[in-house]
Amino acid sequence: MNLAAPLVARKDLPGPYAVLEFRHPPVAAEARAGQFVMLKAEAALAPLLRRPFSIMTVDREAGTFSVFLKTVGPGSRALAQLTVGEMAACLGPLGRPFSPPPAGREPLLIAGGFGIAPFHLFSEELRAQGQKPRVFYGGRTAADLVLGEPFDALGVPLTPATDDGSLGAKGLVTGAVEAYLEETHRPAAFYACGPHPMLRAVARLAQERGCPAQVSLDPWMGCGMGTCLGCVVRIQRPGEASPAWRCACTEGPVFDSREVVWEARP
Amino acid sequence: MNLGVEIGAGLRLKNPLLVASGTFGYGVESAAFVDLASLGGIVTKGLYLTPRGGNEVPRIVETPSGLLNAIGLQGVGVHAFVRELLPRLSAHDTAILVNVCGDSVDEYAEVARVLGAVPGVAGLEINISCPNVKKGGLAFGSDPGMTHQVVRAVREATRLPVIPKLSPNVTDITVFARACEEAGADALSCVNTVLALSVDVERRRPKLAFGTGGLSGPAIRPLAVRLAWQAARAVKIPVIGIGGIASAEDALEFLIVGCRAFQVGTANFADPGVHGKILAGLEDYLHRHRFTDINQVVGSLEYPGLPGRQQPP
Repeated sequence: MNLAAPLVARKDLPGPYAVLEFRHPPVAAEARAGQFVMLKAEAALAPLLRRPFSIMTVDREAGTFSVFLKTVGPGSRALAQLTVGEMAACLGPLGRPFSPPPAGREPLLIAGGFGIAPFHLFSEELRAQGQKPRVFYGGRTAADLVLGEPFDALGVPLTPATDDGSLGAKGLVTGAVEAYLEETHRPAAFYACGPHPMLRAVARLAQERGCPAQVSLDPWMGCGMGTCLGCVVRIQRPGEASPAWRCACTEGPVFDSREVVWEARP
Repeated sequence: MNLGVEIGAGLRLKNPLLVASGTFGYGVESAAFVDLASLGGIVTKGLYLTPRGGNEVPRIVETPSGLLNAIGLQGVGVHAFVRELLPRLSAHDTAILVNVCGDSVDEYAEVARVLGAVPGVAGLEINISCPNVKKGGLAFGSDPGMTHQVVRAVREATRLPVIPKLSPNVTDITVFARACEEAGADALSCVNTVLALSVDVERRRPKLAFGTGGLSGPAIRPLAVRLAWQAARAVKIPVIGIGGIASAEDALEFLIVGCRAFQVGTANFADPGVHGKILAGLEDYLHRHRFTDINQVVGSLEYPGLPGRQQPP
């Protein structure tokens, strides 16, 4: 649903990060974890197009939802400058959500930095289904891991990992996942959202360990509706003779990692 | 108040707003977000005889007030369109125009023949101006002789209205407009994207995988208005204006310089609700200027040094 969504609350976090909460009753009512919205600060002249944001939380009673914002360019900067009461153009909810893990598999939610956003809502959904998700949260340094606290409140265990060892285990987040698997020997199902190299590493680990993995891809996206064909990714489904370009916005952003043709992307 | 227009060969639209090829898929994708019946018409994504994969990624990059794309005419092919998509699209009360592509003159004619043989197609837009394919496309649209050949071949292959889509990447668009008119075109779409290049300075490579791309959006609007104006003055057949239209005011520029209708392109990506705003804005304009019919606006430009206000025939 395409609506002008007023900003109802904002929480500024250290560094370039903030959590913005908008009123948009259809998104609040329908959104599922892994889905996204196309957002743009309404008064802003630049950029021309909206930008995709994972839906981080929803408040179904209040008719609001929140996104995790990292200021990187003109679109996110204009959103970061919104004050409460100002409007964003908002289309959503869009895309295919995460699906629950197969029976008996422990859901491991693997986030790289900014990719933590969808796992808040997903943790809530999994908890509501009686599942016990566990979050692995990686970044270059402690300053990249600004959104860990809410998971404490949800009672979801979170394992941080940083490249420089400033928070949690030193090394890649996939290393922390491997260490956990070695320790527990429990069957797992991976869910991953983060930079492309991390997603590829998760896909490789999933293959090695015989775990299913769902990855949330984040290519440059123009429209969110499947019409611009800008966000296509190479996907090969079982039974298909060759890979095909598929829109990440309508057929994703969540894909089975085995269907993604990893070599084809930079 | 009348918003209805005619764009040649008896093709009537309930209003002058069409959605541009390549910015609205095959129409059905957007049905969840847009009331298709509110549109004057839909111009589909370009179709060849067979499915096409399109170009490598990245395919799109945003530029100041614009969008640079090199999608490369990814598409399902005309047969799958006719079989699977056209029946769903025809359920909506709007004119369906199909954008026709080809690697050869024969392919354009054959696609046109297929589309002329099925119900539900209101007209054909002939894509002789796509800058993002290695064969065909712009090669046909930047040579007046080739333009004439393609349009003539399509003209002979179908009784449907034939609407070549002209390229802005030429020295004198009037030469191409006249070549199309002589070859039997019923109307012209003016214009396709502007051939452009955007460079990633860190990597010292083009930002798009294809290299160059086609520039669209508000960045090209004044250029497109000038080209549509020149084309409209050069021919008797109707001209459909295209280029960076995102508001009623933008659309009115094209109508005032002589376009009978207009297409909304890049703005479809930015705001799926843009059509309602544009149409409401047109009605408001007619009301404010005491016009009763949108056709009174068409060609009403008073231009320094040119005789009077032009009126449509």
